[in-house]
Amino acid sequence: MNAGLATRYAPSFRLIAAHFGLGVLGLLAASAALVWRTSALEGHYFQPALLGLVHLCVLGWLVPIAVGALHQLVPVVFEVPVRSERVAWAALALYVPGAVGLIGHMFMFATGWGLVGSAGLLLAALWLYIANLLVTLARAERVTLTGAYVIAALVWLAIASALGFALAWNLHAPFLYVDHLRWLRGHAHAAGLGFFVLLVMGVAYRLLEMFLLSHVTATRPGQVALAAINVATATLLVAFVFGGDPALVIAGVAAAAVGVAAFLVQIRRLWRARMRRRADTAWHHTAASFGYLGIAAAAGGAGALAPLPAAWRERVALGYGFLVFGGFLTSVVVGQLYKILPFLVWFHRFSPYVGLKQVPAASELLPAAPQRAQCWLMHAGIAALAIGIAAATGPLRVAGAALFCASSALVARNLWTIYRRQP
Amino acid sequence: MIEEDLRAALCEVMDPETGINLVDLGLIYDAHRTGEGAVSVTMTLTTPACPAGGTMIDGVERRLLRIDGVRTVDVELTFDPPWTPDAITQAGRAALGWA
Repeated sequence: MNAGLATRYAPSFRLIAAHFGLGVLGLLAASAALVWRTSALEGHYFQPALLGLVHLCVLGWLVPIAVGALHQLVPVVFEVPVRSERVAWAALALYVPGAVGLIGHMFMFATGWGLVGSAGLLLAALWLYIANLLVTLARAERVTLTGAYVIAALVWLAIASALGFALAWNLHAPFLYVDHLRWLRGHAHAAGLGFFVLLVMGVAYRLLEMFLLSHVTATRPGQVALAAINVATATLLVAFVFGGDPALVIAGVAAAAVGVAAFLVQIRRLWRARMRRRADTAWHHTAASFGYLGIAAAAGGAGALAPLPAAWRERVALGYGFLVFGGFLTSVVVGQLYKILPFLVWFHRFSPYVGLKQVPAASELLPAAPQRAQCWLMHAGIAALAIGIAAATGPLRVAGAALFCASSALVARNLWTIYRRQP
Repeated sequence: MIEEDLRAALCEVMDPETGINLVDLGLIYDAHRTGEGAVSVTMTLTTPACPAGGTMIDGVERRLLRIDGVRTVDVELTFDPPWTPDAITQAGRAALGWA
């Protein structure tokens, strides 16, 4: 009766819920660790507590949510089932001990075989996820703009995880001929710019179109952004790993700026064509995240190109990293979770009753007030942290971390409320 | 053409994302009786890849089967003509926040 409709390709809800649950636990852990180690947000970025914090945020929070969302989105949008749910579960089984081990070794800066083994588990897990999703995408009849973004993002994730494994091994037994920090910058940009930014951009076109009820057929800015961010990531990776040629860095920063600008133009078109005029909390998070992306791009460019004193260079580098992972990525992920999770819960628990009795809309599974409260807390925390980092003001950073932590607890509470809703 | 009692029933089937019923969203093109106990519905979706499409079609069938005398419901999904915002009713526009 529903042949050809997309939802029949969706994987089991348990698979997605397991990844989302892991991600929310990671957010809580990362937020608590941020309060515990707020002092890490000053000085040079290469310090154990900061490496631990960043990897907790990325591996504990952002990657599980991204992987869970990909396993839902790819089959639904491209109308192909996930190649193997078993492989996804196996990858998760490798991922959890790998991530926990790597994060723990980073915080303690223990560079023994435990670090290398954890990084190896992570590499195996991520490559399993990537292979499974790429094989799934290869079976799609048509690869759209979003599909091209997802493929590119997965390739960059494969590169970023390989670089990460090499860095872990190099900490244990140095073998790299170039500066470890250059590889670290390459690894961070392959993951942050290549994987996360491309993934968010590509998925945003699709999800915002759905959630704003917006139809835009002209996708040229989106295509420009895809090309520019890929060029930027490749250029910066080469520049960082193979010598730091200033001309290459300038070219990479310029390409990234073009990519971000083109993306924002495409989003503006979607926004202007929206049929749903009332902006909800999810959109406020998303809009704020794009603002953080713009500021982060400016800070990254300034950090790479402007002749700043050493102390300012450190602050700009920290602010840039925080705005990308704690500002842009965290905001956009929270915003989209407020859309995706209610829809999944609604689809699996409420949809069988449509037409038989009154069922709430997906957006009614959680009242607006706790979402708004969480939104205000989180963006106040992000603003205080960003200003505290830029101004090197300890108390402001502590206040920001406390607000951010409280907002994370509210995220968990809100998502748990949605998850437990029954008809 | 949508018969009045069928329209009233279909107004109880909501789009899960917007919370607006399918009639006010302009997704129902036609709903009428074709014989004794048989109803035919022609409807569309806002986009062919709408993730809630199957649910809405099932909801239409289930709701209409609850009407006294209706024994079979045939739902035809069409994208010709494609749905456009012009199909949204005044009530739907108000619910979407349009002036």
